[in-house]
Amino acid sequence: MSLSRPHPRALLSLLHIVLLAALAAPAHAVPQQPVDRDQPDGADAAGPDAATPPAAPPTPTPSTPERTPAPQPSKNDEDSAKDNPDASPADANPNDLSADDLSDDDLSDDDLSDDDLAELEAALAADQATLADSRPAEPPSPATSPQQNLAAAAASLLPDMAFIVDVAAAWFSQQENLQTGAHDPTQTGFTLQQLELSLGKTVDPYFRVDGNIVFSQFGVEIEEIYATTLALPYSLQARAGQFLTRFGRINATHPHTWDFVDQTFVIGRVFGAEGNRGLGFELSYLTPLPWYVELVGSVTDAGGEASARSFFGSQSLPVRSPLDFQSTLAIKQFFALSHDWSLLWGLSAATGPNPTGYDNRSDVYGVDLYLKYRPTDGRSDTVISLQSEWLYRRRQIARDLLTDLSGYIYGLWAIDKRWSTGIRYEIGLPAENSTGERGADYLDPEWVETRHRLSAQVTYRPSEFSRIRAQAARDQPPSVGGDPIYALMLALEFNIGAHGAHAF
Amino acid sequence: MIRSLLLSTLIGASLLLASPSHAALDVVATVPDLAALARAVGGSHVEVSALSRATQDPHWIDAKPNLALTLNRADLLLAVGAELEVGWLPKLQLGARNPAILSGGDGYLECAKHVAMLDVPTGPIDRSMGDIHGAGNPHYLLDPRRALGCAEAIAARLSALDSAHASDYRANLERFRERLARAQAGWEKKLAPYRGAAVITYHKAWVYLTDWLGLAEVAHLEPKPGIAPTPRHVLKVLQTAKQKRVAVILQADYYPSKTGTLVASKSGAKLLELRTGAAFESGQGYIEHMDELVDALARGLSAGATR
Repeated sequence: MSLSRPHPRALLSLLHIVLLAALAAPAHAVPQQPVDRDQPDGADAAGPDAATPPAAPPTPTPSTPERTPAPQPSKNDEDSAKDNPDASPADANPNDLSADDLSDDDLSDDDLSDDDLAELEAALAADQATLADSRPAEPPSPATSPQQNLAAAAASLLPDMAFIVDVAAAWFSQQENLQTGAHDPTQTGFTLQQLELSLGKTVDPYFRVDGNIVFSQFGVEIEEIYATTLALPYSLQARAGQFLTRFGRINATHPHTWDFVDQTFVIGRVFGAEGNRGLGFELSYLTPLPWYVELVGSVTDAGGEASARSFFGSQSLPVRSPLDFQSTLAIKQFFALSHDWSLLWGLSAATGPNPTGYDNRSDVYGVDLYLKYRPTDGRSDTVISLQSEWLYRRRQIARDLLTDLSGYIYGLWAIDKRWSTGIRYEIGLPAENSTGERGADYLDPEWVETRHRLSAQVTYRPSEFSRIRAQAARDQPPSVGGDPIYALMLALEFNIGAHGAHAF
Repeated sequence: MIRSLLLSTLIGASLLLASPSHAALDVVATVPDLAALARAVGGSHVEVSALSRATQDPHWIDAKPNLALTLNRADLLLAVGAELEVGWLPKLQLGARNPAILSGGDGYLECAKHVAMLDVPTGPIDRSMGDIHGAGNPHYLLDPRRALGCAEAIAARLSALDSAHASDYRANLERFRERLARAQAGWEKKLAPYRGAAVITYHKAWVYLTDWLGLAEVAHLEPKPGIAPTPRHVLKVLQTAKQKRVAVILQADYYPSKTGTLVASKSGAKLLELRTGAAFESGQGYIEHMDELVDALARGLSAGATR
């Protein structure tokens, strides 16, 4: 292929292709040579050098990446052809005589209709994907045998998988307790809180899929299964599938990352036993501001007693307009106050239909704050954190409006890697209508007083993968004349499988 | 006409998008040693930052959102690899929304793939053995020979990403190679008298250093990698320390020192709490840090050997 005597229009078309390709797939090699359509897809991938662009020219030019003295990128380079000056023969040696041997017919304008262009792009995209998958493994280092590399390569094709087992023993001072979480211990005796299978893997260079499938004694539940985009431009990221919405701080997390045995009733009361989640779509944007500001917006279905209780909840009403979905907006800001102190601040809002009447809506506004102290300049394993979240809910009901406020605040102190302790206070004010009357709450008709719960826990971690936690609580029910409920819980957690990454 | 309009818009857009990358390459390293190597090789063509400090345990870095922001703007992410950063880096990579620095992207370099690893498990592994890494022991930066391997890989990748300055990267690498060779000869000479000396380490983080210098690791304060010391195990270590006349106990200065102090006082060994990474924030380079480390080691070994 030669560009030494280019047809002006051919050059323009080439530029066009280059730009289109660069914009359409920024992570991809620029197609500077036509694809040899006779070559089966991926034929080159089996070749010894991944840096060879797909469909190499028939006559190797002196600059093809055999072994030149110039430093070569590693074979692991994704699309190193783009960046390696030696890997793009056409540009590197415009005056190369041997290049004249190659035909430039394919580049003449007549041959390049838009269909061809689309075909070319599709073919290149296909080749790239094949290359990415079947790239040869790293040559064995002196310390590893080929068998080990093979085993590692085979294992790396499987999804990362982890099973998390949560079992608990509990005692309640009353049979009728007010635990809200679907995975809480709810009665005196033993509870299998959950067996969570957490799965995740990149699908291709563009998506990864993560799932959390929960097995309980009563069946299997797909808590989350969603795809996340990996290569959207402009610092955008999208998720699609079933996911926990990123309303506030605690909602998007799973029981095994919670700092207490049970769900905070703030979430249970407003969103339900499983936390706010649904099938839907989310788009988030990391702003180019000098500090961390992330904007998140999602649209999810508004039904589900355990996941959207303030919206359609248990009533599966039909979707008549986009307003019949739940929409969630959140802004997350992070401030690195110093090496040791961090502050995370979030504002969230969710709006959706409720079943109390035609066009009646529920809105939830939330604010969350997380302050963490973790020294980075010593050998201290101390971590101290403070987390608080407040939810203000407005629900339209027939000719009236219900409002209420719930919130929690907790402090944690990790004394070292093994021992930590925490104390949590939760409060739920009764829902009031526009004249300040209580008792009209169609979801919790007996919630007429303020509910308070105070819990304290001590946690011991034999290793990163196991946890023993004891918790005691006093719960003041919101019904008239309710006696306080005392609870003791002992919870064990075990994690086998892939080493998950910890969120901040 | 429409085509050329579209074309000029595209050109404009691509110029706009491309413009920030004309500045120096933005290189982000997970640990300060890699950052120091990148600075040595990249010179004035790179802006280097580190996601962690030398005083932090690299297994346990918080995935703070501002680090994701740093990665969002990065052209190249340098990782130690071999699962050292598995507990925090994947979250940051995903949150960064920068396809280049994802594992497999052309802006991601896992240096472990470019050095010969030690402690690679030869049989099936499970976590009853502690926090074992299938790809081998990730603490290879304490061996200057392997650090050079990383520097070479970094130079190659920088040249690939920024071909205009490839010759500069090559020249920087050669300069670094020479400086390192000179320094290394000095370190080896200084520590040659202690070849074969018995040492205890806290975490199995020193195998590359002891392999390089010919020191004998006879015990570890952690019963298993990543499992904090237990009394029964420490008792055994103490016996070993006395029997084998252990000269020094080596531990990174981010680990708690109580156990080491106890074993040192009861056995007569010298406890050395060493900074295991370069103080990159204050401009320290890899060689300067290793100078410090070798000096401290030599002092400790000489004190421990003459007790």
